[in-house]
Amino acid sequence: MRTERSRRAKLALYGLLCVLAVPFVFPTWWMVTSSLKPANEIFAFPPTLWPADATLHAYGRVFDFAPFGVQYFNSMYIALVVTVGTLAVSSMAGYAFARIKFPGHNLLFLVVLVGLLIPSEVTIVPLFQMFNRFGMVDTHWPLLLVPIFGAPSVLATLIMRQFFIALPAEIEEAGRMDGLGRFGLYWRMALPLSRPALGAVAIFSFLHSWNLYLEPVVFLSTPEKFTLPQALTQFTDAYGGPMWDVQLSAATMTALPVLIVFIVAQRQFVEGLAHTGLKG
Amino acid sequence: MRHPRLLLAAALAAPLVLAACGGGSDDGPVTLRMTTWSANEDHLAMLNEIADAYIADHPDVEAIEFDPLPFDGYTSTLTTQIAGDNAPDLAWILENAAPDFVTSGALVPLSETLSGTDGYEYDDLVPAATELWREGDELYAYPFSTSPFAMFANDDLLAEAGQPTAAELIESGEWNWDRVVEAGAAVHAQTGADGIVIRDFDYTGWDNLSTLWTGWGASAWSADGTECGFDDPEMTEALTFMHDAVFEQEAMPGPGTTADFFAGEAAFTVTQISRAGLLAEAPFAWDLVPLPAGPSGEYAVIGQGGLGVLTVAPHPEEAADFLAYMTNPENSVKLAQFFPPPRASQLTAEVLGQANPLLSAEQLQAVVIDRIDSGVVKPSHTGQAQLDQAVRAALDPLWTPGADVEAVLADLCAAIDPLLAR
Amino acid sequence: MTEADTETAPGREASRPARPSWWTARRRDNLAGFLFAGPQLAGTLVFVLLPLGLMFWYSFHEWNVLAGGFRFTGAENYERLVQDPALPGVLGATAAFSVGLVALNLSLALVLAILLDQKLRGTILFRTIFFSPVAVTLVAWTIVWRFLLQDDGGINGLLSVVGAEGPNWLRGETTAMAAVIVVQVLKNVGLNMVLFLAALQGVPKELYEASTIDGAGAWTRFRRITMPMISPTILLTSIITVVGSLQVFAQIDVLTKGGPGTSTTVLVYYLYQNAFQFHDFGYGATLSVLLFAIVLVLTVIQWQMRRKWVVHED
Repeated sequence: MRTERSRRAKLALYGLLCVLAVPFVFPTWWMVTSSLKPANEIFAFPPTLWPADATLHAYGRVFDFAPFGVQYFNSMYIALVVTVGTLAVSSMAGYAFARIKFPGHNLLFLVVLVGLLIPSEVTIVPLFQMFNRFGMVDTHWPLLLVPIFGAPSVLATLIMRQFFIALPAEIEEAGRMDGLGRFGLYWRMALPLSRPALGAVAIFSFLHSWNLYLEPVVFLSTPEKFTLPQALTQFTDAYGGPMWDVQLSAATMTALPVLIVFIVAQRQFVEGLAHTGLKG
Repeated sequence: MRHPRLLLAAALAAPLVLAACGGGSDDGPVTLRMTTWSANEDHLAMLNEIADAYIADHPDVEAIEFDPLPFDGYTSTLTTQIAGDNAPDLAWILENAAPDFVTSGALVPLSETLSGTDGYEYDDLVPAATELWREGDELYAYPFSTSPFAMFANDDLLAEAGQPTAAELIESGEWNWDRVVEAGAAVHAQTGADGIVIRDFDYTGWDNLSTLWTGWGASAWSADGTECGFDDPEMTEALTFMHDAVFEQEAMPGPGTTADFFAGEAAFTVTQISRAGLLAEAPFAWDLVPLPAGPSGEYAVIGQGGLGVLTVAPHPEEAADFLAYMTNPENSVKLAQFFPPPRASQLTAEVLGQANPLLSAEQLQAVVIDRIDSGVVKPSHTGQAQLDQAVRAALDPLWTPGADVEAVLADLCAAIDPLLAR
Repeated sequence: MTEADTETAPGREASRPARPSWWTARRRDNLAGFLFAGPQLAGTLVFVLLPLGLMFWYSFHEWNVLAGGFRFTGAENYERLVQDPALPGVLGATAAFSVGLVALNLSLALVLAILLDQKLRGTILFRTIFFSPVAVTLVAWTIVWRFLLQDDGGINGLLSVVGAEGPNWLRGETTAMAAVIVVQVLKNVGLNMVLFLAALQGVPKELYEASTIDGAGAWTRFRRITMPMISPTILLTSIITVVGSLQVFAQIDVLTKGGPGTSTTVLVYYLYQNAFQFHDFGYGATLSVLLFAIVLVLTVIQWQMRRKWVVHED
């Protein structure tokens, strides 16, 4: 009786999960399959779930049309540099704010937190002028420096600080006994223990950089320097008419690799995220 | 213990101060930069060819860079560059941004440079084409592209629906909007394809509707730009006609429906002739004809692109000199491969035909040459971006089945009157 | 909670003889603190505070970008802000979007987390599915949804299969706002879900066992035990979600461009229009100041509210 009820409950639960999963899976499915359809089938109504006449034609045209390979490389290397840079800057700052009682550390931390509250749209004009003064417009510097040192890295610092605050004091005591200085404590004791938090910061910063849209649109004007989100909106003919199939193929190529990497490594990602100080 | 903070502040401030002081100009050969909205390889190859020839003769110019910006948001991107002290020397300017650029002092006056250039034949420029780009007699930008709107027709779809072709309708004197909508509705009813697509309108780019309402003698605002024209009877009639065509006869696709004429999904489309290139591999029979007549008779609408030199550019003098070279009669013929020129002597089927092998001499004569003089330019106004946004938002309620056209248009005028008055 | 421990001076450095007397272990540690936090502090100064200051400065000017004019106009922009006829609508849309997004995001995240917290096979698969949009490029995700939400797009196609006729989503004022909210929630709900899941799994099981013995039902257990235990997570996620909801730009730009009418023109989009489309950077700066003030006030309110409902803040 009881097992029968729990079996039903289980089935109901699975059913609910499956229904809920549809809007999460369908867009990606549709994007991938539509990118294989010829342009006129994309708008077939009702839509076909699988292309009647699959073709990779549009994928080739992506590369004809834009320096897509270079743009892919740009996005990739910028995201990687931003990730590594953010890990360094935010773990050090997070460590300092959590474990070193230097004068004004609480006040300074509050000041840093202001960055969390500023939409990038607010500061884009002055930033543009500042970078222009240094001749850095239409270079990748703004897309590297601002995420690593500016407002976007504040969330990372917050995550790291919350994590380091929770580290038991005894661990550092032991390190001190071994004669470690501040840097030693940070590098040898704190960092190795903070892998989950570092993992979360890495995902956040990678995705943030990878998704950046307004900044590249404002800062970059040479197609060879474009990043992917910016490139994605440019698949139009010379008069602004959209080229749907090519655009979808490009979108698939930007989304799928990251998605696959994520699915393969998702356990570390999600668990890293789950074990951060963000849980309070 | 305050030292570290002070040091930090000093270290941070130093480069800012240095940068603020630096930035003087050097006297060596200069590099010019020109923004365009075309990333088309053939366009860029032609521009580079002209530039290379110029550089060979002008040691003071080291290089000329062409910088294609995305068409979508072109004016915004250009303005952002100007705001960031990163203005190009020369820029293509969209017709709807013309009043803003011409009246604000953003552009260098060109009349003297152009008329003073040997062999330029300044008087050859068609006044109707340069009107938008002048303030009084002073020319601020060169209309390098002056392209009338026309109608493409898919003869296969028309035949399938048992309708006469566009050419036959012209022949029989029935080439008017009423008949075209009738044909479009028949195509939609019988083939499932769409009837008429006003390209790039897509229920947001409302200025493209001037290709329709001009046939009713309507205009968005008075010639001096002070009075709203949307609540005039002509406009009300034109937009009621359009509303019925969409929602009653279903001759035009409704909002949120995508139909691409060039992929064979519609019987007619209104657009510029340069799009003929998209038909190179079209698997259907097509024709290019002038816009159908409206209640007020035959008419033409033209779209333009201007080329100007920015006042805040790093090298305005060199840029103006290059502009004069680039648009002289000889180079104008090269430009004419892609962009109908504003020069009377070059508005011939022969010159235009070189770039449009898909179009016959008769088509070019009827659509371009005969209409360029009488063409009404698409609507534009100072503060265009804001007006554009306001009109789009106020027109949105019109695109529902039961809309009260008159009321919507009255509201529209109320919304844009303060903007027009500025 | 454990910060105080770092203060104890380590014995080793103190015994070194050749140091000047002011170079104490304490000062050494202070220097280390500044050096560690240095890059972040410098970045905040240069990339956050300086541009923010410039923005305030601009907001007192009329800036004619095309003609290169930059003129001090005092509070003129602020007077215009107060009188701007479009602003009430914009703020209304902003509030509707933010409230809708935060409510839907947090409640859906919590529901998903609770479902995945059950002892079931295959929860990892579902967790991956719900989290996967987070890994899809934002612009790609939004472009795909623009296709799907068209009148003849995939959503209405699916509906027509089951015999229903869907509305023209992006052309109706209410449906467009709902669509923008849902698309954004689906994109990011996975992040909050994972954080909630971690919090749920951190609730000590003994608490539940004790209450089961007391005869408390599932809902009572949830309200009395689960909610209080995960309230710090709810606070943090809600702050991040609220702030994020006020920064939505690419989604609106790709999906609706602020329409139909001005129904989805939220403050950030209005700001962008004024600064980058109407070339009115002075007024754009004024709107930025308003946006910043709103974010600041909301965050302070949320932070104050934590005393009321966040139970174990230590």
